[in-house]
Amino acid sequence: MSSRAKVATVEQIQDLLSTSKSGRGLLPIGLHRSYGDSALNSGGILVDLAAFHGINIDMQSRTAIVGAGVTIAALERAALVKSLFPPVVPGTGFVTMGGAIAADIHGKSHHRTGSFSQCVRVITLMLASGEVVKLTPKDPEFWATVGGLGLTGIVLEIEVELHALQSNSVDVVEHRVKNLSEMIELLSRSDNDYEHTVAWIDLSGDYRGRGVVSLGNYGTAPVKVKESESVGPSLPSLAGKNFINPLSVKAFNEIWYRKPLKNGAVALTKYMHPLDGISNWNRIYGDTGFLQYQFVIDIGREEIFDRLFRGLRDLRAASFLGVLKKFGNASQAPLSFPRSGWTLTLDYSMAVPGLEKFLRGFDEELVAAGGRVYLIKDSRVSPELIPLMYPQINQWRDIRRTMDPTGLWQSDQARRLHLC
Amino acid sequence: MLNGFKNPGRIALIGAKSEIGLAIVSQLPEDKSREVILVGRNGEYALDVTDRAARERVVEAIFDKGDLDLAIIAVGLLGNDPTKSPADNLLAAMDVNYLSTVHLLELISDRMKKQAHGTILVISSFAQARPRDDNFGYGSTKAGLDFYARGLASTLNGTGVTLKILRPGFVKSKMTEGMKAAPFSITSQECGKYGARAIRSRGLVMWAPSILKYIAFIFKSLPPSVFRKISHR
Repeated sequence: MSSRAKVATVEQIQDLLSTSKSGRGLLPIGLHRSYGDSALNSGGILVDLAAFHGINIDMQSRTAIVGAGVTIAALERAALVKSLFPPVVPGTGFVTMGGAIAADIHGKSHHRTGSFSQCVRVITLMLASGEVVKLTPKDPEFWATVGGLGLTGIVLEIEVELHALQSNSVDVVEHRVKNLSEMIELLSRSDNDYEHTVAWIDLSGDYRGRGVVSLGNYGTAPVKVKESESVGPSLPSLAGKNFINPLSVKAFNEIWYRKPLKNGAVALTKYMHPLDGISNWNRIYGDTGFLQYQFVIDIGREEIFDRLFRGLRDLRAASFLGVLKKFGNASQAPLSFPRSGWTLTLDYSMAVPGLEKFLRGFDEELVAAGGRVYLIKDSRVSPELIPLMYPQINQWRDIRRTMDPTGLWQSDQARRLHLC
Repeated sequence: MLNGFKNPGRIALIGAKSEIGLAIVSQLPEDKSREVILVGRNGEYALDVTDRAARERVVEAIFDKGDLDLAIIAVGLLGNDPTKSPADNLLAAMDVNYLSTVHLLELISDRMKKQAHGTILVISSFAQARPRDDNFGYGSTKAGLDFYARGLASTLNGTGVTLKILRPGFVKSKMTEGMKAAPFSITSQECGKYGARAIRSRGLVMWAPSILKYIAFIFKSLPPSVFRKISHR
């Protein structure tokens, strides 16, 4: 429960800052689609920045000045017309610029381009005092804001570099692999030759980690795209019932594994955001909901996957959408998630018995092996593990305190994990 | 804050010695990082539950340290102390079971409304179903509490705060030591399971054991003459 303030101008936000006295603080939000509690602020105010939707592209410098409420999908559409494209886009286009900064998002190109912040030149930020500052990568406040989960101020707009395209397509090659070691081997081998690499991993049945590795480079031949603004079919309300169980997942994964492999030019937006084709896909999990668990682990610590897969098999916890990806170098943001290593993403129905306890145990093994979870997707990690996962958190806290001495920015996640 | 599995991170048990209260806490999923605040006669949050100023002070202190996800109010008095007169026993039970508990409900729900989330579990009793000759004094205190809690629960709709009522029957514990166990009696551990279920359930009221829901219905439907006969066991 929280109240939502839709703001359209800088002055309106400043008014809000000076009048809000709830003691529960403010939190800027975008599309409100975070998996966890990063975009919730119980008892406080959510500052909705959807009205900050300007996009100004400068062809000469190949940069864009983009409002905080602009979605990745909208920026892509505006850029594509000019044969440009954001160099870092996540698996969904439904992320705002503010959210992209707050989570320092990553995409299939991370091994080449790094995370989103690597293509950001300027962040225009409103501090808790109401003062508006322009931050560049030279400022520590820039890096505290990147990955800072919205707790350093309100991103108003950003200046972002764009990538020049020859066409609106990606040349895709897909390979079916029989198990995890084949997958790891192929992904490692392909990093040098491909701009985009990702693998879908089947975590059901025998949990050997079979899957499909998808490799892509920006294409040269244009492809016809169906009206890009159109949203795909929408999943109807399923009366709150959960349709995810070991059997349904196994059947789906079997089909997905056997589906014909892509080979050739695919529309960029379709390649980047496969899930956006079906609206409200989350309804398939019913009222109990689902959690997404994403972690990163150093190269050379792959043995942890065996432990995880064994545990999940014992729980009969089947994941509908497992994704494995090799990250490149980390950004210098203290709370940014991506860093060199393997990242695995799993979706689970909350209704899986024993899942909470298992993941809690696995978190500890993960930390012991030097890994960490992605906070923007988290709703359940134990607070005492945060300093072990993010050893630079105190540095972040110190900078944050100078930007927000009174503790105006608050979120449920910050309360749960004692972040600030 | 609750985590994604809706499990509380910060819990207050008011009535640190209550066997039922402790049993409820023990039935919640274990978590190293969970904070359980025991409010009793001693400790950091020492409270004489019948002291109004102390109630206010302790509730403030708990909430000032951070959000509270779950409050279990497990204070209660049967009012059968043989060293006291019946009138004194009645007054003591009224003070603890109704006056103090209702005031705690008011204080806690108010703070929870400000944080816009949280759950309160209050322990009522089967005894509030219908006055019985042997315990209508105690029953009346629980009936008053139960009545108030139902009203409060309704006003909490839409605030993010929820209130649940546990209505145990005869629970074998220190509180009932030496008393003849009634039918459908349970142990405090079993009662704890019902309490933990109540916290997560959608309904307002949880009977412990569940069958008491129907027994209470029958009790209430019986003509007085019949009821008197069967309650005089």
